[in-house]
Amino acid sequence: MSLRESEIKSGPACTTVSLGNYRFSDPPDPSKWADCVHCGMCLESCPTYEQTGQEQHSPRGRVHLMKSVGEGKLEITEDLIDPIFTCLDCRACTTACPADVDVGGLIEQVRGQIRQAIPLTGWKALVSDFFLKGVFPYPSRLHLLGSLLKLYQKSGLQTFARKAKLLRMMPKHLAEMEAILPEVGVPVRKKYKHTNVIKAKGETKHTVALLTGCVMDVMFSDINEATIRVLTRNGNDVVIPQNQTCCGALHVHAGDRETGRRLAKQNIEAFRHVDRVIVNAAGCGCMLKEYPELFRDDPEWHEKAEQFAQKVEDISKYLHDTGYDKPKTELNMRITYHDACHLAHGQGIRQEPRALLTSIPGVEMVAMPNADRCCGSAGIYNLTHPEMAGAVLESKMEHVPQDVELISMGNPGCMLQMALGVMKYGRNQKVVHTVQILDWAYQKEEGKEVRI
Amino acid sequence: MRKTAIQTKDPHIQALARIVGGEKSILYKKEDLIAYDCDGFTVHRHLPKAVVFPKNTEEVAAIVKYCHDHDLPFLARGAGTGLSGGAIPLNGEVVISLTRMKRLLHVDLENRRAVVEPGFVNLKLTNSIADRGYYYAPDPSSQYCCTIGGNVAENAGGAHCLKYGVTTNHILGLEVVLPNGEIIEIGENGIPDPPGYDLLGLLTGSEGTLGIVTKITVRILKNPEAKQTVLAYFDRVEDASQAVSDIISAGMVPAALEMMDQTAIEGVEAAAFPVGHPKDIEALLLIEVDGISAGISEQINEILHICKKRNVREVKVAQSEEERARWWANRKTGFSAMGAISPDYLVQDGVIPRNKLPEVLKNIRAISKKYGLRIANIFHAGDGNLHPLVLFDARKPGETERALAAGSECLQVCAAVGGSITGEHGVGIEKKEEMRFIFSDEEIVAQTDIRDVFNPKNLLNAGKLFPTPGRCVEMKQVASSIK
Ligand SMILES: Cc1cc2nc3c(=O)[nH]c(=O)nc-3n(C[C@H](O)[C@H](O)[C@H](O)COP(=O)(O)OP(=O)(O)OC[C@H]3O[C@@H](n4cnc5c(N)ncnc54)[C@H](O)[C@@H]3O)c2cc1C
Ligand code: SF4
Ligand code: SF4
Repeated sequence: MSLRESEIKSGPACTTVSLGNYRFSDPPDPSKWADCVHCGMCLESCPTYEQTGQEQHSPRGRVHLMKSVGEGKLEITEDLIDPIFTCLDCRACTTACPADVDVGGLIEQVRGQIRQAIPLTGWKALVSDFFLKGVFPYPSRLHLLGSLLKLYQKSGLQTFARKAKLLRMMPKHLAEMEAILPEVGVPVRKKYKHTNVIKAKGETKHTVALLTGCVMDVMFSDINEATIRVLTRNGNDVVIPQNQTCCGALHVHAGDRETGRRLAKQNIEAFRHVDRVIVNAAGCGCMLKEYPELFRDDPEWHEKAEQFAQKVEDISKYLHDTGYDKPKTELNMRITYHDACHLAHGQGIRQEPRALLTSIPGVEMVAMPNADRCCGSAGIYNLTHPEMAGAVLESKMEHVPQDVELISMGNPGCMLQMALGVMKYGRNQKVVHTVQILDWAYQKEEGKEVRI
Repeated sequence: MRKTAIQTKDPHIQALARIVGGEKSILYKKEDLIAYDCDGFTVHRHLPKAVVFPKNTEEVAAIVKYCHDHDLPFLARGAGTGLSGGAIPLNGEVVISLTRMKRLLHVDLENRRAVVEPGFVNLKLTNSIADRGYYYAPDPSSQYCCTIGGNVAENAGGAHCLKYGVTTNHILGLEVVLPNGEIIEIGENGIPDPPGYDLLGLLTGSEGTLGIVTKITVRILKNPEAKQTVLAYFDRVEDASQAVSDIISAGMVPAALEMMDQTAIEGVEAAAFPVGHPKDIEALLLIEVDGISAGISEQINEILHICKKRNVREVKVAQSEEERARWWANRKTGFSAMGAISPDYLVQDGVIPRNKLPEVLKNIRAISKKYGLRIANIFHAGDGNLHPLVLFDARKPGETERALAAGSECLQVCAAVGGSITGEHGVGIEKKEEMRFIFSDEEIVAQTDIRDVFNPKNLLNAGKLFPTPGRCVEMKQVASSIK
């Protein structure tokens, strides 16, 4: 069955409910702030409070602010943007809060309201529309961008640009980003376009679908390749539904919930015929699991989103829960592990990836203090709030142990940011995805020469 | 990010901004100030005029002097976890936030002391010295976030203060900016008790009404050699409180001796750190003993024996550090956990003679019934410090007032059995009227006279700690002004 375009394009029945000064449909859920007792136990968990010491940049302050608008005590104004959009959406406060207040969920809903009340203007709107609406949802355009990037890297243009100091013309944070762009490969979605099923090695135990991710597949196709190899090696047939799209997390974080819903519907449809959706990007996985939140006012899609969310699992947890072959060859490496926010705080997955790593013979794990502290990547936060992202990264790097070879994690966004940290602070670790290490171990076992 | 110019013509704000070095260290827009309209006590709210973030003592002194010279009311704020409204800018104060003065300045293991800035978070001190085998004893349940400056102001206590004493027992020296901007140092060189008046004792617990603390020298302790923790479930509250009395009468001083009642258990079990306590018991005890290894297991055996004698339903000793930590996380997040079963709560903070507990709890149950509001009880049982948590919903008309009245009545009950109206959370705004339960007007005037010596213009944190003067007090003031 193909996707019913009309249904996907139309939003939920237009609701006219308003809540205090939230006047657009899909207002924040007041029961979320009702749980907050204003105790402040979340303060120290918050990276933006750590950096500023200011409570409007703390979870408690933000909840209080959002509640004040909901109670009609405050209007939505320009001055609300700073506290609400400076939140990293890292969810550390949700872990810390004894009353289980879903601060991240509230923030996303309120951003939706603010963006409708005060639409972006000027170049910010242009850039945001270009990437969020014009590129990420379209694999072909992303692939084109990827090819351009590859051309840039391979044609000598990159070397030229670097030598000619052309990069100095870019804002500093963009130039820094340029320096750590991974080498672009062939997106797996393109590669397996005509392959219905990538067969398991040996007997098939399960069939799973892979969310390839949008930017992920272009910039980190090698991680997708590693994921596929690890899955097939462990008895999984892998399918890659071609009509899947960007998960929508970046849109929802930015307050564009309408596009978020459109993408969600497309994915729910795309993965309708599979019972497992495997994700190797924590940010995307968390978003998929939270699709039901987007359809609170739309019972039909809410139900579908609930069923879909049940099918979603992070690669590390999936392998850990369904069983995987423990590698037999030694991989003599010292590794530290960084908890991606959307894996640890967002999905409660902490032990599984560590267990995968320690099950590899010869791996020595070195604990990272405050491992679940945000690195400042937070989707495109490092592009929109370079100053705060930089400060958060600096604190993070102080905790990365010196004497390790690899820094492992389960989210490509973090990988870019941590690679930036390694470069900026003159460190020499490699930044890798957890599944790559497992893949490496398997390959070594098979006698292959591998380079991570 | 926001533009960096000050977008107001208010000369005071511009002047304050110049003192703290610009736009990033001052807040003055309504959207930014809302977060500062209350602290952990949410019943009264008021917007501050501005919030300033000094980086050092000199900046604090300059801000204070400016406020003093221009008659602007001002107050200090740490993490804003106070439960009695001490940091609420009732008079539209300039709030001096100390969160950016958060350095650990010096650790002197040899003399067992550390010097911190006031914004340094309580738990961070223990975390910074734990690997060397030391810790900072006062452990309020808010220790994950509250500041040592705020602890000094409130003379904070904690679960482990039964054996080790509250904040005041651990303060060796203070640097203070007086309300006129003068900087003084008390207890220099870590000699806490110089001849003359005990100013350290006076300032500790003065609830931010006598000066702003800008540097603190604290005592640190060597980790106890051994530690054991017991959890005991009782079907009847009477048995649990009898067990507490028995333990103390047996001559033991546990490091901590905590109790929670049924409603409190319901809350913590519904929240983020459940342990799996049975929900049909009337009370649980969490008991910890520590010290040199020899003798610990005898103490534990005796405690188990006492619990059994008092009809305990189930009693167990923590089998691992992990289990112990889980029990404590469950207890220490107890207040906030009430958010899981009620939209708002009001914490009371009475002190009672331990043996009066069953009677007091019975009276509190009656108050709960009278006002139609649930009341959970969390109790530092060892030192008789009772925290009734009145659960209410501020959105329902009249419920806040009922909660306040119920809370006040709980304190009356405590005072009536010979106790006090605050153990560790301070008086602030919340209990200033209840001060009359334990002090006469003359006694209150004697105390405000002391305040006036430090804070003659009463610009610093006015309207807290003492009740609005009663008739005879006013008469006295009139009389003295005529003189
Ligand atoms: C969940 C929860 C549990 C709690 N548990 C306990 C407990 O077990 N024991 C306990 O004692 N308390 C407890 N409290 C109360 C509170 O945490 C303490 O009173 C704490 O000491 C306040 O510190 P703060 O940094 O948050 O101070 P704030 O709330 O910011 O300020 C408190 C008062 O101190 C003044 N002040 C702050 N800093 C300074 C300074 N540098 N100089 C002068 N005055 C200053 C303020 O003006 C105000 O009057 C709890 C609170 C919560 C929310
Ligand atoms: S979000 Fe949670 S931890 Fe933070 S103030 Fe509210 S209830 Fe307390
Ligand atoms: S999500 Fe992260 S940045 Fe946002 S309030 Fe919570 S802890 Fe702070």
